[in-house]
Amino acid sequence: MSGQTSAAVAAAAKSVHQDEEELHGLLVPDATDLPLFPLSAVESNFVAYFAPDFTKPSHDHYIYRHPNGLCVVGLAPGHAALRDEGGVKGVDFNVGKSDRSAIKVTGKRKKNAQHFEANTMLCKVSTSVDTYVIRCCVKGSLLEVNEKLVKQPGLLNTAADREGFIAIIMPKPADWLKVKSKFLSREEYSNLRVESL
Amino acid sequence: MVAGSEAEEDLRAFREAVSLVPWHVAKDLISREVCLHCIIRLFGIREPAKGFTSLSPSMFSDIVAELPSTGEGLNGIELGENKDKNDDETNEERHPAPSICSVCFGILQICKVNDAEIPFEKNGVNFLANVIADAVKEEGHEFDSFCVEVSTPPAIPENDLSLLSYINSKYGSESWLQKKPLGNIISLKEALKALVTGPLETKLGVNCSQGTFRIWLTYKEASPLTSCDDKTPVAKRQKTDCNNKNTLVACTTYGLVAENEATEPCVDSGKITMTIPTDGFGNGIAYHESSCLSKSREPCSLSIECYRDAVYFGGRYLKYSRNVSQTCWMIDEERMGVTSVEEIISGCILPFCRGDKSKFHAAGREDIDVRMLGSGRPFLVEIQNARHVPSIMDIKGIEEKINESKSKLVRVKHLKLLGSEAWSLMREGEAEKQKQYAAVVWISRPLEDRDLCTLSSFKDLSIMQKTPIRVLHRRSPLEREKIIHWMKIERISGSSQYFVLHLCTQAGTYIKEFVHGDLGRTNPSIGSILGCRAEILQLDVTDVKMDLF
Ligand SMILES: [Zn+2]
Repeated sequence: MSGQTSAAVAAAAKSVHQDEEELHGLLVPDATDLPLFPLSAVESNFVAYFAPDFTKPSHDHYIYRHPNGLCVVGLAPGHAALRDEGGVKGVDFNVGKSDRSAIKVTGKRKKNAQHFEANTMLCKVSTSVDTYVIRCCVKGSLLEVNEKLVKQPGLLNTAADREGFIAIIMPKPADWLKVKSKFLSREEYSNLRVESL
Repeated sequence: MVAGSEAEEDLRAFREAVSLVPWHVAKDLISREVCLHCIIRLFGIREPAKGFTSLSPSMFSDIVAELPSTGEGLNGIELGENKDKNDDETNEERHPAPSICSVCFGILQICKVNDAEIPFEKNGVNFLANVIADAVKEEGHEFDSFCVEVSTPPAIPENDLSLLSYINSKYGSESWLQKKPLGNIISLKEALKALVTGPLETKLGVNCSQGTFRIWLTYKEASPLTSCDDKTPVAKRQKTDCNNKNTLVACTTYGLVAENEATEPCVDSGKITMTIPTDGFGNGIAYHESSCLSKSREPCSLSIECYRDAVYFGGRYLKYSRNVSQTCWMIDEERMGVTSVEEIISGCILPFCRGDKSKFHAAGREDIDVRMLGSGRPFLVEIQNARHVPSIMDIKGIEEKINESKSKLVRVKHLKLLGSEAWSLMREGEAEKQKQYAAVVWISRPLEDRDLCTLSSFKDLSIMQKTPIRVLHRRSPLEREKIIHWMKIERISGSSQYFVLHLCTQAGTYIKEFVHGDLGRTNPSIGSILGCRAEILQLDVTDVKMDLF
């Protein structure tokens, strides 16, 4: 009796052990199967567009578009503000009629979201040399601005294409289709700025 | 004619029931085309539990004929006395078929079931029970008990009330009514159930009880009263200004009019309105007598449906593919993934139960590119109107069938049959429970031993997570606190920048964003903690901690 029981327990333990090994095998990949560098979340989740010289020379913006239609807007590597001596010193969202960071958009239907034109001001970025106006680039609802930039303007110097983004805008699909052909792809943009970057 | 002691007993019992009704009232009501079934139920008298199964309409005619033509006495039928003299005549000679009841529209008379006329001398209840039993058998249900549900035209309860008003107004001064006011009407639904249950039990060979298998009898008025302007077959209730001092009349579409008393109709847009005075019994409700008062009444049509209350299956599923969604997922008419967990599981259970429809519900959901391993995720499948409820052995068979499919995309474990309480259990369980994951992570510098210590040192780390950009288009923009209960790094041999991150978090944490930071919108993140860039290559759920299945 007890012999049988302990055999059953051992069998059950073995089965659990097998399950765990099988699970572990599934979870841990073989190093040789892994790419040397993986695609970043930004690269794999967004399509990058560029608006060089937007309204003014050297005012280069990027627009990262997610398949869900949202656009992340920020400063492209060729923007004058990123190339000034000493880098970006301050970011101010209190422009135009309202403080862009003061409006809290709520709900699935994005209540309170402001509808902006492509050339509406988002913020001002200042360096020790000059102050630059950053614009929406796409017509749509402003969902969010990156408030961190107010206290950490340096994010623009270290990670303008990631943590240093400026804003998230939701264009209407039709508006996006109208404007998208005016933008450059990543390849076209780097060809354009090849000598200066 | 049905012979034998059962028939005699039923007849006797029915006579007894009718005898409880003052005969002059019974006679009055019969002359107004109210059937005997309706008369006794309006007087609150129950028919025997098994119904008068042996009685035929011709026998009812006998009873009608027995009613004395004059006299003032109450409860006046002498049982058996008149019986002998009737025996030597045939019913057809004495009585024509009674007209369709003005109250129940023939539902209790059962002289016709849809297009099938029931011969006058045949018992209608047995005929009806046969029709129902055949319909039930055709549906192919397996059941060990049943219950009957009845749905009738809305006019019928109105008719009951009108008839009561009529009796109260006409006989309100008589002592029998003053001693014992009417009020405990037995509804037509109850009366019909009482009639049909016994014969149905016999025909179906199982008992009637509070089970999950229901037989629905739906009666509809066969021909809407055609000449009616407003197409309302029911007496229209309406307060009226008519200051009518005459004796009240309850007047409805089935035409109960007190003939002895004068009525003075008010003409209102082509319809005759008669008032019920607010005396001791009247309730001040007026009835429209529309011009559509129908003489040629048609019996109601009957539709029979069988339905089993939903059957629930619970268990846990495992998903081994990064190209299978939880439920069928379409974007712009294009299918995402090759198939879905729901289709694989429900697609196996539904045909087995021969149900009408299935619903799939799981405790939370992983992204299409995330595998569900280890414990599996609790799920529930609801099968509507199952013809067959599987046995324990059957359920083992279903489980094996799903698990042994060639594609090996999905497996189930602990599959079992559950009651409807499983729904609420799952709803309660799915919130605020921990989930365990394994993620393959890359960082922008070589992994160091102290990184392993750093991450494993956190216990219940609080993070702030803004609604991820990838779902921000359809969800509220919010910043939520989430808890990372623990983390553990497992090195991958042969790689310095890749590792497996095991972590346990509060339900609802976005893991991919916790790893790469979502443009700094989840904070802290693996990248911000380790002071470098972090990217996630793949993610698996390894444990859904719920005390369920
Ligand atoms: Zn009736």
